[in-house]
Parts: sequence; C-alpha cells; structure tokens
Amino acid sequence: MTAPEPSTPGPLEGIRVLDLTQGSEQYCGKLFAQLGADVLLVEPTGGCTNRREGPFLGDRAHPEHSLAFAYFNQGKRGMALDLDQREGQDVFRALARQCDLVIEAERPGQMRERGLGADSLLREQPALITTSITPFGQDGPYAQYEGGDLVALAFGGLLSLGGYPGLPPTAPYGNQAVLAAAQFAAVASLIAVWEAEAQPEPRRGQQVDVSIQESVTMALENAVQFVELENTVRKRNGGQQRQGGTGVFACEDGMVYLMAGGVASNKFWNTTAQWLIDVGAPGAAQLREPRWTDSSFLQSNEAKQIFAGIFLPYAATQTKAQLYAEGQRRRIPICPVSTTADLLQNRQLAFRNFFEQTPHPYSGATLTVPGAPYRLQATPWRLGRPAPRLGEHTVDVLSGLGYDTQQQAVLLRQGVIA
Amino acid sequence: MKTFPLAGITVADFTWIGAGSYTTKILADFGADVIKIESAERLDTLRDAKPFQGGVRGVNRSGYFADRNSSKRSVTLNMKTAEGRALARRLIEGSDVVANNFTPGTMEKFGLGYEAVREFKPDVVYISMSMHGQTGPEAKYLGYGLTMGAVTGLHHLCGRSDQEPAGTGTNFPDHVPNPAHAAFAIMAALRHRRRTGQGQFIDVAQIEPTIALLGPVVLDYTANARVAGRVGNQHIAAAPHGVYPARGDDRWVAISAPDDTAWWALLQVLEEPALAADTRFADAAARWQHRDALDAALAQSTARHDALELAQRLQQRGVAAAPVQDAQDVLLRDPQLQARGHWVYLDHPEMGRTVYNALPFRFSRTACAPHRPAPLLGQHTDEVLKEKLALADDEIAALRQQGALT
Repeated sequence: MTAPEPSTPGPLEGIRVLDLTQGSEQYCGKLFAQLGADVLLVEPTGGCTNRREGPFLGDRAHPEHSLAFAYFNQGKRGMALDLDQREGQDVFRALARQCDLVIEAERPGQMRERGLGADSLLREQPALITTSITPFGQDGPYAQYEGGDLVALAFGGLLSLGGYPGLPPTAPYGNQAVLAAAQFAAVASLIAVWEAEAQPEPRRGQQVDVSIQESVTMALENAVQFVELENTVRKRNGGQQRQGGTGVFACEDGMVYLMAGGVASNKFWNTTAQWLIDVGAPGAAQLREPRWTDSSFLQSNEAKQIFAGIFLPYAATQTKAQLYAEGQRRRIPICPVSTTADLLQNRQLAFRNFFEQTPHPYSGATLTVPGAPYRLQATPWRLGRPAPRLGEHTVDVLSGLGYDTQQQAVLLRQGVIA
Repeated sequence: MKTFPLAGITVADFTWIGAGSYTTKILADFGADVIKIESAERLDTLRDAKPFQGGVRGVNRSGYFADRNSSKRSVTLNMKTAEGRALARRLIEGSDVVANNFTPGTMEKFGLGYEAVREFKPDVVYISMSMHGQTGPEAKYLGYGLTMGAVTGLHHLCGRSDQEPAGTGTNFPDHVPNPAHAAFAIMAALRHRRRTGQGQFIDVAQIEPTIALLGPVVLDYTANARVAGRVGNQHIAAAPHGVYPARGDDRWVAISAPDDTAWWALLQVLEEPALAADTRFADAAARWQHRDALDAALAQSTARHDALELAQRLQQRGVAAAPVQDAQDVLLRDPQLQARGHWVYLDHPEMGRTVYNALPFRFSRTACAPHRPAPLLGQHTDEVLKEKLALADDEIAALRQQGALT
C-alpha cells in the first residue's frame, strides 16, 4: 500500500454545499467537508443554536467557546446571514445558484415562506439537491409537531428500549436521534449528488426529505419484527445481566462488559469457565455443569447470581485493561466500559492515531478531537480548517458574489449580515 | 416509474450479522445489485437469530435477518473449496464494490484480500469493516455491537447516575453509525472512481464512527479535563425536560418545556393552577433550581393522562411532547409513519407478507425503498451464476456435486 500524496484531492472535491443547520444536524455537512467538499455554514446573524449549548471550552459560556459547535463544523467556512430579510434571501439565492447541495433543518414550510423553498431554488439551479432534516419529515399529520432529541427518540421507539425495569425509560446520550438523521442525510445526499452528476446536461436535482423519527426506527434492532412475528414487545433491560455471563460487571478501576453468551447462544461459555477455573476463582468448577449450556437456565436469576458470585470477586482484583487483555487473549468477547478518559488511553486508537489536534483560534487553545471515522486509502479524510468564527467568511463570500464594499457595509448596517 | 440511482452498480457482498449487512441493504434499497455471498457451512448468525416467523426457527425465517437484507440476492458458495473461491473471484471481477466485515485476515485466507483482488480488479472499491480496523495491537479482538458500544464510551454515558450504565438497550453501533458511515465512504469512493478511474481500499474500524459521534463529550474531557458521567434524561440544562409517567401499565410521556411559553401552555393543558402559583417554578432559572420537586409534581399530574392523547394536546399548544412508543406502537399505531409509508410489506417466499424498514428519507424524483424481500439462503445461486458468469445448467450441477455451492 502506498501512501497518497499530501495534495491528493478528497473524493468529494468539487461538491459545493450550503449548510443551514444549527445543531447536531451539522454532522452531515462535516462528513462532506472532511472528504473534500466545499461546505459553507450559513448561520443566523446571532449565531447557530448550538453556539449557546455546552460543553464550553474552559466552562466559559460564550458563543465562540461551544465545543459542540467547534466539533460539528470543523472543515467548513462560515458566514452569518439573516434569511428573514429580503436582502439576505437574495444573497442566499445567489449562493444556491452556484452550489450542488443545500442542507437545511427548518420547520417544514419555513424555507418556502422565505421564498427559498426547494421548488424555487430548483427553478434557478435545476441540478440542485436540497436535503431537509426535520423531526417527522415534510408531510404527514405530525409534520408541524415540535421535535428535539428526546421527543424523536420517544416517537421513534428507541427510548422504550433504554433504561431499567421499574424506572422511567432513559434516552441514549448525546443527541443520537438528530445525529442518526444527520448520518442518513449524508448518505442520501451523496447518492442524490452522485445520481445528478451522472446525468447528461441539463442535469436535474431533486429534494431529499429526511425524518429524524424514521432514522430512530432504524435503530430498533429486531424489536419491530418481534412484534410482527412473535407477538412480543421488547422491554428495557438495563442494570441486569441479559443472561448469565452477559452484561456489565464491576472491576478494580471501573467496569467491563462481558458477553460470554455471544449473540443469543453460549458460544464462549466453555472458554469463560476455563478462564475462571485457571485463575482459581472460588466456585468456578460448577460453571462446567451441563445446565450452563441450557439457554433457559442461563436466563434465570439463579444463573445470573451464581455467575456474578464467581466472576465479581476475581474481577475486583483486576483492572479494566487487564480483564480486556486476558479475556481477549482467550478469545472471549469482553471489553472495558470506557469513560471518555479511557478513550485517550486506548492503545488501539493510539496505534491508529485516531485522535487529531486542531487549533481553536478564538481562544488560542489546541483541541484534541476524534479523527477519521473511516480510512479511504487513496483519497484520505482530512481534519480541515477549524470551525468558523461567527461571520468569519462573510466578506469573502459576498465579495465572491460581486458585492462591493459599499454594498456590504449597507447589509451590515441593516443587520442582514454579521 | 421512478428509477433507482444505484442501478448498474454491483456489490460482491461478503458481509454478515449486523453492521455490514445493514450497510449493503442501503445500497440494495437504492437499486444496486447486491449479491450476498454466504454459506450454509458458515451461516450468517442472524439467519439463526430471533424472532422467527410464527416462532418457528429456520434459516429463512428470521425477521432480524430479513430487515437487514432486503433487496439483495443470495448465492451460496463454499469458500472452503477451491471451486467456491474461484467462483467468488469471478463474481468480484464483475463487481464494482467488495464489502466484508470479517476480522482482519479472513478474506486473505480465501485469497480475496484487497492486495489480491486489486491484481485482477484494479479499480475495485473494497471496504473492510472490522471491529478495530485492519492493523494495531487489538485488530483481532472479538466483539459485537454491545461490546462495541462499551468500548466507544457510549454505554457508560447512557443511564442514571445512581445505577450501572444501561446503554441504549440495543447493539446501537450496528444499526446507525457503522452502516451510515460505511455507505457514505463507499459512495465517496465510487464518485472518485467515476471521476478518475481509480479504485481504493476503505478501512472502517467499527469502534471509530461511534466515538466520532461523541465528539463534544470527548472534547469536554480533552479540553476541560471533565470525565462525563450519566445524566439520565437531563441532557439539556432546562426543566421540565424528561420522561414522566402516564396512565396505564409502564406507559410514559416525554415532555420538554424549557421556556416560559411552553411552561404556561403545559400547565394549562394539565390544568394545574397550583403549580402556576408556586414561586419555586416562577421562572426558568427557578424551575431549573427546583427541578426535582418540579418533576415530582408533574409526575403526579401526568400519571392521570393517556400518553398519546396528552402529547398530542401539548403539541397542539406548541409544547415538545411525545408518548414513549414501544415497538408495537411504532409498527401498528403511529399515523405519521403510516402516512409516510415507512413500513414496507413484501411477500417473502417462506415468511409470507412481512414488514421491512424503508430507508428514513424520501426522494422526490428517484426511487429508494426495499423492493425485494430478503433472499432465501442460496435462492439466487443458479440465477446469478448463469447471468453473471454465463454458466450452463450442467456446469452448475457439476459444481453442486463437488460441494462448491453449499
């Protein structure tokens, strides 16, 4: 394998993207930017919503200190433009005429009210792809309902699977509903661009309508099929072993996840039993009894209690890293329940140089961030420029559109740009 | 009739189980010809995973498998035989994409690793989706979606601070982060190939996309030295925001009313004048400060209401609210998903008319939807060998007799 030249263009080079999103939907544009597309974030003049959301660098609640904003907009340029003013709408239309993809997450109908609906943008730029990311999609009885991550997780069904029996369901951490939609929006948008680029001139674009609720249903695993095929409604089961030997176990410095059962079987039972026998865990010999191969016994509380009684005392003498290394050496699926601190100590991620460093020009700090989520050997992922400061590229963009200094000053005074 | 954007793209699909199969499902639902190369000798574990049609176990009866393999064709090749491997090689010669999610080294054992394949198919887009990536000290470590969720930090962050981590209750990385990232990477590589003629190798370490999604909380550690813990449902610093009991057995309603407008609308719908008069809840800052008392008071009130009805009434007043729908609600009782046509029913030769997830978006001009049920094990072996490799019936019969097609 030969390393690509540093100047190798990204695989999405030449794709011009306008990103109007203000929260975790921005992950969609980030995926484009870091594979070489030219992504321009178009913020309201007061800044994106997530500039006002933590965590903040140094715990300073300041629009240039939002770590979420910094992370989700790495690789993009940025301008601030008021789309509710006519002059701002003119600027936007001029930008859309020059681009291939618009990503927006406004309430359905809002862009049309501004005269910036997909239909009118496509009239002026027929090859344009417009991607909308909304809680419930553009149509249907809930289309105008309020969203948000928690609501989408609830309507989409995933919330019902999270948490502990007897306590209220708990949601996945970190805007996973919105992020799921952002990821699917990226796939859909790129396929739409691919299709448009393949056409002979005159090329035709189209509208891509992404539903956050539907993106959540993609994560329901087999729960819907359990309803349909076996008339069973899956329930949340956190805080307990799924079956004897599968679940979270405390150890010396934290927790490990052990999966002695593999997927719905007892594939790794014998090796797990042998491990505990080899280390002299009291009572381990009984794990050889034939009843441990019976899946109905493994599901029982008795099995879970016996296993915990044997494994936990041994685990308490071992660190996460020790259990991980020794269990995996024996070909048993076990791993640390990592904290964010553990990720920075993970030797596999370190070997792969997964974490990257980026300047944060506003503060002068250097940030360590997760890096490439995939390695394209010939056309590598690139970290790209730091997230834009509010309005950082407004003047450049307007100049590129032919607005002279005087006109830009007028727009600034009117509050159309920032 | 709408056309499929990926019509004409062929995928030699060696993926199995969760993340890999869901990746190639996306391509298949967009019209790519995804040829799933599998074997009864080394069965895709999901073919043997619950739930089964009518509760009856069988390799062609798993709903878990079916949903991950819509719109694909299945060819069985015994990769332990030289003939089976030779056929796989010929199928790759006619493909644009090769996909697998084995531990590193497996495709190499078949003589079909990237270096070998590029010799006879230089412009191939070849994706490997192992758990930890192709190289490194833990490259061959074992795992599943659940352990992956734990390694990435996601599991630790989901749940209550007074309990052990609960995770998402699913093999989350298998269902969204890995399929979506992998499909995006494949499409990027296909675009590059169309522009330059150059193929390439794509290495996805399945733990990495999920960590990428946790960027802000990772940064809270790397920049602020704070190791985040679990926060239950309190993901934003506002109250009320959470999950509250509703009428019935284990029914819940999610409500988020972070500002004054939403708060007053909530109290009107709940008809709780006493809460409106309570000075502890007079403004947003006070509600945040007294959020435990607030949640307790709200819970008493919401428990008298049906979750769906309450959520709909709140939504009509502009308050973000939702019933916590279980899988049955989502499948059978959700008017939005029905109006959107999210659930697609296809006639499966053994399972009958059964449900599939449509992809979570609609295109205005081109098609994207499951259009063929999941294949039976080896259902298209003869068809594909004839169509793609121009084999005659007697040649196929001979191969079958040699044990190459099991």
